[in-house]
Amino acid sequence: MTGSWREAYRLQQRAFPELAYEAIYAVRQGNLAPNFPPSEIARRSMRRVVQSKLLVSILLGLVALGTTAVLGPTAKSLLAPDLAPALYVATVLVGLLVLELALIWWTGLQVLPTFLSSPILPTLETLPVPSATVDRAGFLLFLRLFDLPAATTVVLTPIAVGLALHSVLAGLAILPGAISVVVFALSLALVTGRFFVRHVQGSPGGSSRMALRWAYLVLWAIPAFAMYGYVTIGPRAVAWLSGVVATGPAGIVDGLLAAYPFPLASLPSLAANGALSGTGSGPGPVLVVLAGSLAYGLLTILLAGWLLTAPRSLTTTRAAGAYTDSGSLRLVTRSAPVSILVKDLRIASRTPAFAFLILLPLLDAVAIGGWTLLSGPDPTEALNIASAAAATAALLATFFSPAFFAIELMGYSYTRTLPLSQRSLILGKVLLVAGVYLLSAGTVLVITLARLFDPLPFALFVLAELPAVLAAAFLEIGILVRVARRRGLPITNLYSGSWWATAVAVPGVIVAGAPLALFELGRASSPALGMGLLALVAIVELGGAATFSLLGAGGGTN
Amino acid sequence: MEGATARPTPLVIDRLTVRYGERVGIQDLTLVVRPGEIYGLLGSNGAGKSTTMKTIVGLQRPDSGSVRVFGFDPTTGGVEAKQRIGYVPETPLLFDALTPWEFLEFVASVRRMEGEAVTKRAARYAEALQLTPELHQPIATLSMGNRQKVLLVAALLHRPPLLVLDEPFHSLDPRAVRIARDLLRQHASEGRGAVLISTHTMEVAERLCDRAGILDRGRLVGEGTISELQGSHSHNLEEAFLKLTREDEGVRAAVESLGQE
Repeated sequence: MTGSWREAYRLQQRAFPELAYEAIYAVRQGNLAPNFPPSEIARRSMRRVVQSKLLVSILLGLVALGTTAVLGPTAKSLLAPDLAPALYVATVLVGLLVLELALIWWTGLQVLPTFLSSPILPTLETLPVPSATVDRAGFLLFLRLFDLPAATTVVLTPIAVGLALHSVLAGLAILPGAISVVVFALSLALVTGRFFVRHVQGSPGGSSRMALRWAYLVLWAIPAFAMYGYVTIGPRAVAWLSGVVATGPAGIVDGLLAAYPFPLASLPSLAANGALSGTGSGPGPVLVVLAGSLAYGLLTILLAGWLLTAPRSLTTTRAAGAYTDSGSLRLVTRSAPVSILVKDLRIASRTPAFAFLILLPLLDAVAIGGWTLLSGPDPTEALNIASAAAATAALLATFFSPAFFAIELMGYSYTRTLPLSQRSLILGKVLLVAGVYLLSAGTVLVITLARLFDPLPFALFVLAELPAVLAAAFLEIGILVRVARRRGLPITNLYSGSWWATAVAVPGVIVAGAPLALFELGRASSPALGMGLLALVAIVELGGAATFSLLGAGGGTN
Repeated sequence: MEGATARPTPLVIDRLTVRYGERVGIQDLTLVVRPGEIYGLLGSNGAGKSTTMKTIVGLQRPDSGSVRVFGFDPTTGGVEAKQRIGYVPETPLLFDALTPWEFLEFVASVRRMEGEAVTKRAARYAEALQLTPELHQPIATLSMGNRQKVLLVAALLHRPPLLVLDEPFHSLDPRAVRIARDLLRQHASEGRGAVLISTHTMEVAERLCDRAGILDRGRLVGEGTISELQGSHSHNLEEAFLKLTREDEGVRAAVESLGQE
């Protein structure tokens, strides 16, 4: 029997509100159904899903439009004056396309647990409709999770490039690249999603297995690093490329142009100028770009075809095989806050969206620490960079505190039946934030030790900022616990609860950042004054936030 | 309030009303579960059994009336009440990303239990329910029945004086049902605690419960010992249930109409 797109569209129209409902209210993960009439619940779910997609789309739009500034001659003369114009444009557009791919992929990682846990497709399979129609309905449902971000990428990227290069043809020429990154991102989301279900989520207990899962999850966190890399490493990458092209072996340009998505990113220059100026004589580079574009275009078409049936197979993927590892049969009991911390680390080790939040400050510390080690600054400069890395870790850890609370979403309804006080819950989450900060700062210290010579000033800086990190975490988690108590609902995942997460994270980041700003102002007069101000303000903040959070929470259960 | 020498009453529900918007979940419900008693809450789907259970464990706030667990209000004095309760929800939704053993560690920690004693108890219950091979698999990979066994072990772990079980057997295999039933009987008969169990399976109530209450559209329409309920309606609990919920005529009409097709 052949499938029908019209019927598939009709089915997904019926099914998507259920997916939105699950994404927002997570009833299948243990939450109580909200106390509204069904029509109101559906309306609210759909509205909040649209809001979240809008947030990702705005980010993608800003990135695309922001690229126009970097494509101009002023930026080029600053970043890579010696690089051929066509290569410069292609390199910047490669950065843009990779960033778009990473953001859409990462959005997919956020939504996948909901999509996987939803029984929607298995339910549709029981209907008397052709199998191909169910495939198509699955594809449309999956596509709908990404529709606004995908449309933003496909529409705004050509507009931004066209405006920046003052050429409609150049704008149109990036269209294949924009479409390709969307298809690649959706495919990656599906492939990694399947891998996740089989080998990460389905991995048995035991500390060695947990270490292995964290190793997998480092790989998972890398795409989300793209935004950070684009901003911080991007300019250095362009300068590095400029050097490689100037001094590297013959054929290096052809090699670069063949790598994904270079050919597609080179098409705008080719379309605008009819040639790739400055890439050498002869038709070689142009042929490489055209052949590469054709090859990646074909691959994109093949992947698009695969996507038509793949979402359905994903929802029927189960963990690989049975495990025989019986592990230790000893229940290790801990204090309630520490048990919350251990539980969160275990859950995060099987849930990439949460693992990413823990890994990002650490990866940031590794990146900046590694850069400091390799670039070889003098001890004063090394101390400045290491302190900046620790400050970034502090801000990232506090920015993600609301999401650490969202871990409670899974099994929240059961946890609320346990004699777990709100104070213990808050303390457990604050421990996690503090742990992430201290681990990141420790990583920076270990990596940069050879450059710092005297680690004491750095250690003092980290310890002086610690109360501010704790204060920010207390404030954020304290607010969220109150909201959860009042509404009976924690924020959900980053995809569906991003508005809440952002609203609560802003005051937290201000609390963590204010002492750092005072530190900068104070040390202009003397380093001791800067450090003193940092410590003093941080301690005062901690006193206020802990009082608000712990006294406000009381001893009642969550 | 309990007298100084009186045995505290595990559960007292007094004129409890819970609404979901316009819809009434529970209306004016009053019941008492005594020490060492297994009390069955019977009702059709949507009768209000789960709403009652959720209110007892503090998941649902009453619109009016009160719930007291050994004198403590689960919605305000939550920790005191919840320390005394072992709960199995109707739908076994847990932290899917944990293994049962990790989950039990978390529950035991929150309940401040000693490692040695709790390890032995958890292992014994898991063994009895044939859950041992699954203890180190993520909960996400377990069947509904095995998830329910995990919840049952978690509920029994601290030997609570009040067990609140919402349809605890519906996904269990016959062997596990038998063992779970014996565990509950043992739990109550050894004077350790009372049990409130909701079910719409009359056989479970007949075999397990000392007393039962019948809920219909959020109201308690009948209450008594099993033999009292049976005795007033042809010695058959199912008949009693259908009569009290005024479904007997409806069932007869539905069956007749099916026969005419």
